[in-house]
Amino acid sequence: MLQHIIPASGLLFTLQNILWINIGVFIGAVFAAIPGLTVILCVILFLPVTYSMSAIPGMMFLLGIYCAGGYGGSVSAILINTPGTPHAAATMLDGHPMSKQGRTKAALKIALYASTFGGIFSALALLFLGPQVAKLAAQLGTPEYFMVCLFGLTIIAGVSGKSMIRGIIAACLGLLISCIGSDPMTSYDRFTFGINRLYLGLDLAVCLIGLFALVEIVSRAEDQPQEMHMDTRKMKDDGTITKDEYKRMVRPALLGSLIGVMVGIIPGTGASEASWFSYSQAKNMSKHKEEFGNGSVEGIAAAESANNAVTGATLIPLLTLGIPGDGTVAIMLSALMINGLNPGLSLFTTQGDIMYAIMLGLILVNVFMFIQGKLLTPLFAKVVSIPQEILTPIIVIFCFAGAYSVNKNYFDVAVALVFCVLAWILRKLDMPPVPILLGLVLGRMTETNFRRALLISNGSPKIFVSSVYCWAFIALIVLAVGTIIRGKIHDRKAQEKEE
Amino acid sequence: MKDKMDRISARLREKQIRIPVDLTVGVVFFLVAAAVLLLMPSQVAISERDVVNGRAFPTLLMWVMMICCALLVGKEIYKIIKKRPIAYKTINLLVEVKALIIMAILVITYLLARTTDLFVVGAVFCAVAFLLYFRCKKPLYYVITVGMAVGIWAVFRFLLNVHF
Amino acid sequence: MKKRRICLCLALILAFSLMTGTVGFAAGETWTVTCPWAPDGVASLVSQKVAALSSEYSDDITLVAFAQKGDAATVNTWVLDNEAGDTGLVFVGEGLLSITSIMDPAKMQFDYDNFEFVENLYSSVFVLSADAKLDIKNIEDLQAYVADADEITVATNGATGSEAFLAAALFGSMGAGDALKIVPYQSAAEAAQGVVRGETQFAVSHQSQIEESFKQGGVTVVCAFDEDAIENGPFAGVEGVGQYDYPYFRNRCFIMAPAGTDEEKVAELKALYDEILADEEVVEWLHETMLLEVDTMDEEAVLEHVDNVKNIVNEYIDIVQPAA
Repeated sequence: MLQHIIPASGLLFTLQNILWINIGVFIGAVFAAIPGLTVILCVILFLPVTYSMSAIPGMMFLLGIYCAGGYGGSVSAILINTPGTPHAAATMLDGHPMSKQGRTKAALKIALYASTFGGIFSALALLFLGPQVAKLAAQLGTPEYFMVCLFGLTIIAGVSGKSMIRGIIAACLGLLISCIGSDPMTSYDRFTFGINRLYLGLDLAVCLIGLFALVEIVSRAEDQPQEMHMDTRKMKDDGTITKDEYKRMVRPALLGSLIGVMVGIIPGTGASEASWFSYSQAKNMSKHKEEFGNGSVEGIAAAESANNAVTGATLIPLLTLGIPGDGTVAIMLSALMINGLNPGLSLFTTQGDIMYAIMLGLILVNVFMFIQGKLLTPLFAKVVSIPQEILTPIIVIFCFAGAYSVNKNYFDVAVALVFCVLAWILRKLDMPPVPILLGLVLGRMTETNFRRALLISNGSPKIFVSSVYCWAFIALIVLAVGTIIRGKIHDRKAQEKEE
Repeated sequence: MKDKMDRISARLREKQIRIPVDLTVGVVFFLVAAAVLLLMPSQVAISERDVVNGRAFPTLLMWVMMICCALLVGKEIYKIIKKRPIAYKTINLLVEVKALIIMAILVITYLLARTTDLFVVGAVFCAVAFLLYFRCKKPLYYVITVGMAVGIWAVFRFLLNVHF
Repeated sequence: MKKRRICLCLALILAFSLMTGTVGFAAGETWTVTCPWAPDGVASLVSQKVAALSSEYSDDITLVAFAQKGDAATVNTWVLDNEAGDTGLVFVGEGLLSITSIMDPAKMQFDYDNFEFVENLYSSVFVLSADAKLDIKNIEDLQAYVADADEITVATNGATGSEAFLAAALFGSMGAGDALKIVPYQSAAEAAQGVVRGETQFAVSHQSQIEESFKQGGVTVVCAFDEDAIENGPFAGVEGVGQYDYPYFRNRCFIMAPAGTDEEKVAELKALYDEILADEEVVEWLHETMLLEVDTMDEEAVLEHVDNVKNIVNEYIDIVQPAA
């Protein structure tokens, strides 16, 4: 490795690369901050820019978009209670309440610090552990993937609010919605009602716009006139984070980064899953559980460090085995292949300098993301002082434009509207929307791996206990469920004491 | 006009509906799950060779949903029998009317953009409609918001190549 | 504060000039080429490479590659949105024209008559790979293995795609159709990993998708779905199933214009594609990196390919998907 570092640094530290990193970071952060404009859409739109570039600047530009996109989604989640990208949904749970407390800058800063920490952590994991970890991850098969999903579903308990039963009902609804479209195992249509556009299923970003962004607009109906004209300039928001808060960020950020790396190296999973896993675990382990959902520093740090820690980790299977970890990285594969680089371990021997330049570049990307984030935070924070009369229609226009851009048709805008109505009804019934989102995120993966595992084993459920990895995941699930039950008993006792 | 609207608002603000929320959730989602199970044969084709067919997962989900609903309803009925207070949710009529107006703005924005195939038409309507909804009287706000609506459309249309 | 504003303005100007310079405006007539499959798939990659070179070969036509996963649904929308005179092109392959048209015609709101054929973007020879532990290196080994096997599992990209039918045709014609179990995965890369992990005994994939696993020793490549043995690349010498009279077809990607498009325009587009596909850099890239072949075609050859695949689909449909 060391023999490649010096020549790789020479290839990386050029003015051209640094310029492209910065352009990528800026575009990625702004795109991801707009609801509906996902990182993957941004990468698709700007991929042609890399056609005329060589591999390193091309990858640096795309990595800039990718990493900054991980952070950018949190901006709108904090400011307007609408995650810019699906993976920022967990950040919203605490980021927006903190902003409402008049601490917008602090929330944005915590998100930035945690994102940078997670990003650099995963870049180092890629640099030092890449090939070894990739080989381990490649051994995870269909039954192990199902176990990962099952573990993911335990998060429902943590995001169900007061009633776990309602949370489970909402999650079932989300999982059912994820079944709409072509059956992944047989290609038969399910619940399409003859509607052509439903063959593809529903896009997560579109559902998110309806479930969180548009319903937030409708909820303006609940605002009192005096709330609407609240003068945010009078709120003291110097962005200060106390020493104690810094201390409290360390553990969840570290935990989030570890979870992010672990989830990222498993192809097919992504930043959304990582941020929810991390948020849920941080909550279970926290001494201040009651703060979660009300502007917890730990909540923001856990979610943001995890979704950015995925960025480097998804590159591990890509660069070492040629397997893209998620959709965005799969498109980045094009930038390499168009330049004649077919990723895989063999490339580390034949084009080692380029590979190490890309891996070192990821650290640089995170550093520039931090610098740009610091510069942009005061500007972002100003969004909350825009009068509601102006901000509300602008959010709607961005949401509609974002929903349209996903598949370039109005059908998706209509889907977002349907989800908005659904979310409003659920709100009236005190049903939590987050389990629906979890169902949507995990649904297809859970079902596909469950059915494929049973297809492989000819229907025998023994396949789910067939490897040491399966047992490890079962242990994790038992641990998670145990912690939840313990937490619930503790809460009940505390409630009884209060009464 | 303003006075008249204020009077209507005041009247609506006083009107509230209380719904037994857990009972409603239980009954509504039980019916939803039952409807999905009934629709399943017509909506999900299967073949005999499938080890686990395409109906298995949604069927499992709907049964879980029905069990949860039954638990929720059962809990509430038990409370009623024991004469304990059950969970209620208060719905304010003014809020719902305002929510309906906002939803109408959203739907009209969508319809305008779709029928004219010009997103900017819907965007401008949306900007003006929300300013009117918020009873905004500042002309500058109208200029800024309409300008932003056109600007957003232009960025998507000409820079991002989204043809709408 | 001042510094911050300057930095921000600079970043905005850079981003704006980048977008206007590369995404927004192009010289001459811009033809948007829609790929209805994954943006990271083989067809999309080749389309991007070709589009990037279009301005070098033509002052009048600029090709813009656009990928929108959705298969039949994407092409349905494209057919609705594009008519003669519009500057849109779309890819269709045997998957849509020969497989979906038989298996699920309700999904398609188009047929061949909705298009004007422009050119074939590439030809891909699929390969059958096997779990290295089975030590199956050629068709003779495969025949011996199949003769004794109670169950044959094959990983494919999707349940009813070209890969599934190639597997059905090969094992069906070996008399092992009843023992065949197709295990569908969400992508070709995932399917290739399925066989490496030993979840299935075999996988059918593009050559480039199994190359890395082959180099790492996780799989052996048994045969190619072609008339003759593979001549170039890491799989040179791998036998073609055609040598043993087993059915096969190549995967092709037809570039189509809207029906009724001016003949001269179609000819102009075809000439542009032919020029780009003859570019030495493109040919080398297709051979070396993508493991594909340049295979320009005329309409007669296209129809022949479509019919050949249809015959195979009709013959082996019961193996892939028994009646619902």
